[in-house]
Amino acid sequence: MAASRATRIAALTAGLSLLVGVSACATDSGGTTDDPIVIGASLPLTGEFSQGGLDTQQGYEVWVEMTNEAGGILGRDVEIVIRDDATNQNTVVTNYNNLISVDDVDLLLGSQSSLLNIPASAVAERNEMVFVCPSCGSPDMFNRGFEFIFFSQQAVATDQARVFAEWIAALPEDQRPKTAAYPSLDDPFAGPVVDGAEAILSAAGIETVYKDIYPATTKNFDSIVAAIAASGAEMVVQGAQFEDGVNFVRSMNRAGYEPDILYQSSSPTYGQQYFDGVGEDNTQGVFFSTSYSSVASTPGNAEFLAKYEEMFGGIPPEDAADGFAAGEVLKAAAEAVGGIDDQRALADWIRANEVQTILGTLSWNENGSPKGDFLVGQWQDGSAQIVLPAEAATSETIFRWRGAAFE
Amino acid sequence: MIALTQTLILGVLAGAVYALMASGLTLIFGVMRVINIAHGAFAVLAAFLTYSLWSAFGLDPLLAIPFIMVVMFGIGWVVYQGAVRHSRGSHVSMTVLVTFGIALVLEGVMGIIWGNRSASIRTDYTDASVEVGPFFFPQVQLLAAAIAVVVLIALYFLLNKTWLGRAIRAASVNESGALLVGVSVAAVAALTFAIGIATLGAGGAMLGAIQPIVPGTHYQWIARLLAIIVLGGFGSLPGAVIGAMIIGVTEMLATTYVGSAWPVAVPFLIIFIVLIVRPQGIMGARLREDLVS
Repeated sequence: MAASRATRIAALTAGLSLLVGVSACATDSGGTTDDPIVIGASLPLTGEFSQGGLDTQQGYEVWVEMTNEAGGILGRDVEIVIRDDATNQNTVVTNYNNLISVDDVDLLLGSQSSLLNIPASAVAERNEMVFVCPSCGSPDMFNRGFEFIFFSQQAVATDQARVFAEWIAALPEDQRPKTAAYPSLDDPFAGPVVDGAEAILSAAGIETVYKDIYPATTKNFDSIVAAIAASGAEMVVQGAQFEDGVNFVRSMNRAGYEPDILYQSSSPTYGQQYFDGVGEDNTQGVFFSTSYSSVASTPGNAEFLAKYEEMFGGIPPEDAADGFAAGEVLKAAAEAVGGIDDQRALADWIRANEVQTILGTLSWNENGSPKGDFLVGQWQDGSAQIVLPAEAATSETIFRWRGAAFE
Repeated sequence: MIALTQTLILGVLAGAVYALMASGLTLIFGVMRVINIAHGAFAVLAAFLTYSLWSAFGLDPLLAIPFIMVVMFGIGWVVYQGAVRHSRGSHVSMTVLVTFGIALVLEGVMGIIWGNRSASIRTDYTDASVEVGPFFFPQVQLLAAAIAVVVLIALYFLLNKTWLGRAIRAASVNESGALLVGVSVAAVAALTFAIGIATLGAGGAMLGAIQPIVPGTHYQWIARLLAIIVLGGFGSLPGAVIGAMIIGVTEMLATTYVGSAWPVAVPFLIIFIVLIVRPQGIMGARLREDLVS
């Protein structure tokens, strides 16, 4: 009787094992199922950061389309679920919790802006899911000891203006500005960009004559610009998102204030929107840092440009390219690891390897921050050119804001 | 001294735009005891309509104002009849809920029609200034201030020199008394709401020329506009003008002399101070029931 019972238990155990094994094989991400891989993301499709959110959404959608046309990931099609967080830090947390627990997504992509990705990434980390974010350059993203967070651009915010600032610092003394103003949006990304530039420029002897942080609700920059004009700053380095950058330039015109050099961190990268907002004459000579150049010969860029043109028309803005590159990183990791279930293996692979993207080659430090340098762009004659570093430049001439070229 | 004077100039010009936008809000509350949380959303809607006229037909925002005011009058009337009317007579908190719902609907509709991307109107005067000695006067805000003066004077005459104005004032002071003397309070309320939204249309049209617009920006406006009518006194048109000037100037002074982060706190700081020192606002009347409670 005891033997019979033991036999039954053994048989039951074997049966269960077989069932579990079959079940595991059926859902194994190594490619034995045809179910699509579902990727979840929350983006600010409405609210203050909707400009960048919508651009990033386009980048994600182009990546999904191109990935599926190329056979998907590990032979499986890719689907993406995008939720709108309305530029709200509470909503973005709710969205990622729901993506993980309700939508049961297989992989995550990040939101847009450090402001939203800082809380969002905590949800991913808690669930031990890889979180590749296309726009999360704040140093605050990477000082929390997280293991699953990766920023898929070339550098963090404090280094974003480094190439530009070092170029200014190296100018001959008669061409180098003597004073600088640093207005910045109260934002975990924009602030560090300005701080990083100021550290380099101050060390080069360029005096800070104005520095202040304004809230995201600031729409009227007339009094800020009046104060900067009164300070006599010869150069302005603004930590801007989008709308604040446009409003700032408009106020500079109203005040008749024309510094020699104008750098804005993000606003000028919004392409046609920025061009329409400030007008062609005012774009001339505006410096910015950018992760992407549409004329770059990076792997896959020509195909990306063609697909973007087909799906949305025009030249893709930087945020669309950043979204696409985030997808490229995720795909490279999944295919290299050979599955998507072991998220720690995916994270370890990203940390230890380089990925070829349309932004160029990306690689990461232990904390998930990237190791590279940004490109420095400048609006010239109505189009955005890359001017630094020299080896990546699409224009050899560098201009003052609405003024003559540097010699 | 030059910096102070320049700051005051910019503050007064900003205040004039605020006054134009707040006048309708205080009018609507004065007659109907409705706190219209959707007021900022209506302003952004007017700005988007102006943007469409400018981008599609090249119509200058200044020339578009009469048309925008007529359209906004119609929209205001329809929204009142469709939604706001049902909350009249309820506790004021109910009107807040209803109009907040309207704001959300308007934001969604604007997002569907115009998208959630920034839209900018640029004309010859949007980035230009008039220079007088060491001072500059932004042209677009000068024009907005001039329009504010015209619209507010027209509103003043409407309220004080016409039968409709007398009916509006009668309904605002004593609804039962107005009914007894033959005023159709329901019709007056609908007209008042529509007029309030129409005057806002003029402000919204200029808003589109002053700064880029996105549907979600209405939240920032409603906080400022509520502070203005709390400061000026709920329901008082002159109070709204004074309140707007004070907030405009205080915001600019705070930006210049305290820090750029402080203007956002100004409206709330002013609400706190007013509630403590003079709860009825600068021009608001203290009612018998206030004293009893």
